[in-house]
Amino acid sequence: MRALPLIPLLLGGWLILPAHAANSSPEAGDWLKKLAQAEQQQSYQGTFVYERNGSFSTHDIWHRVQDGKVSERLLQLDGSAQEVVRVDGHTQCVSGALVSGVTNPPESTARVLDPLKLMSWYDLGIAGRSRVADREAVIVTLSPRDQHRYAFELHLDRKTGLPLKSLMLDDKGRLLERFQFTRLNTAQAPTDDELKASELCKPVTLVASQAKQPVTAWRSEWLPAGFELVDSSVRKDPQGKNVVSSLMFDDGLARFSVFVEALDGGSAVDIRTQLGPTVAVSRRLTTPKGEVMVTVVGEIPIGTAERIALSMRSQDAQAQK
Amino acid sequence: MSREALQESLSAVMDNEADELELRRVLNAVDDAETRATWSRYQIARAAMHKELVLPKLDIASAVSAALADEAAPVKVNRGPWRSLGRLAVAASVTVAVLAGVRLYNQDEISGVQLAAQQPAQQGLSVPQVQGPAVLAGYSESAEQPGPMANGVLQGQSGWHDQRLPGYLRQHAQEAALKGTESALPYARAASLENR
Repeated sequence: MRALPLIPLLLGGWLILPAHAANSSPEAGDWLKKLAQAEQQQSYQGTFVYERNGSFSTHDIWHRVQDGKVSERLLQLDGSAQEVVRVDGHTQCVSGALVSGVTNPPESTARVLDPLKLMSWYDLGIAGRSRVADREAVIVTLSPRDQHRYAFELHLDRKTGLPLKSLMLDDKGRLLERFQFTRLNTAQAPTDDELKASELCKPVTLVASQAKQPVTAWRSEWLPAGFELVDSSVRKDPQGKNVVSSLMFDDGLARFSVFVEALDGGSAVDIRTQLGPTVAVSRRLTTPKGEVMVTVVGEIPIGTAERIALSMRSQDAQAQK
Repeated sequence: MSREALQESLSAVMDNEADELELRRVLNAVDDAETRATWSRYQIARAAMHKELVLPKLDIASAVSAALADEAAPVKVNRGPWRSLGRLAVAASVTVAVLAGVRLYNQDEISGVQLAAQQPAQQGLSVPQVQGPAVLAGYSESAEQPGPMANGVLQGQSGWHDQRLPGYLRQHAQEAALKGTESALPYARAASLENR
């Protein structure tokens, strides 16, 4: 009986740190595996809509897998004809407004969806069946295990595992973005003609890797659990004046980027803004080397982004301590 | 009792150096909102000195006392298992209160409405964390208030952000498109940024 009062403490601990994967459905994990394979093995073409707060657009997609080579063309159907053509994850050409700022990291490796890893940060579940674009779908839910990421609801094609619909929801269950096919054809692979870029699509050249420049001098003192550095670079901004360090982090599903730029006496105010699923938080930090602007951009909650922005430290400052 | 004396006692309690009398004095005054605000301020200053994280507006104490106040005291006659069960219930609700308190953090301006709803209850406790340059020693934050919460559009941000933010958003979306498996989704995000 003496030990009884301790039970709530134990329960409390259990609430905070539930056993890994115990809450995740193995079936959901299998579906995510199928999804990861489908993108690499399945040819398809279709039309999808993308909706976020303040924006709605329609797009065509052609995706062909042939001899292990993945070719893909995307074209926006309304507004400006924005177009992207990619081969094996490398952007070949980009149209119009998308063009500036496109760079092709030489060693860009697409990460595959790893259900086992995701289970550490999300509870995977099956929420039933649905019908999207006249196809039978299974609903896979990914609920975050902490407040540092959003929830996802994926409607996967029962036949191929392709994502027919993808919703991103915040912690109050509000919809942040919707991606949804209205038509999908998996029976016919796109032809060469369909995959061919239009004239408006401007070729992208490989950016010379900046002589194996060492990783950026910035690091984050705090990161939400599960996020790992997947890319970092140091490059000049388009005007060629300032050097911008950028870092990208990834928890297997959600991603955010951190940009650090010296202000050089310029004035800038702190900012926090949200465009549908994407937040942008800029904070001005004063470092021993002068004022810098740290900007966190990503599909994460705004409070988390702010905390990351405030935790950025330069490596040199660390070394001086 | 003078405020100075009370503040000294508060400080002593926080440093674990209070004697019985001081502890009693602080406990008597702890219901006073001003005392609690002082306590929170001290905690933040201390956290800054120790470079610990500050959880803004985290007032576990009041949540716990509220839970305890709501809890009917277990009847004394009940002996044996029932008595323990009563205690267990109290402890459980305290656990919940603590967890709920922790959850408070990160509920950010993203939901202005909800925050506004919470505000009245916390008025006495609004710790000066906004003005406090002491939060992260060595890193001063500019005093300007965060920019307007633009939902969907970037509202006329002058200068620096006009030039930089769209580029950053684009770069993020496109690098995400290269890294991700859900290939079409980050592309659609990037395209939608251009449709403003």
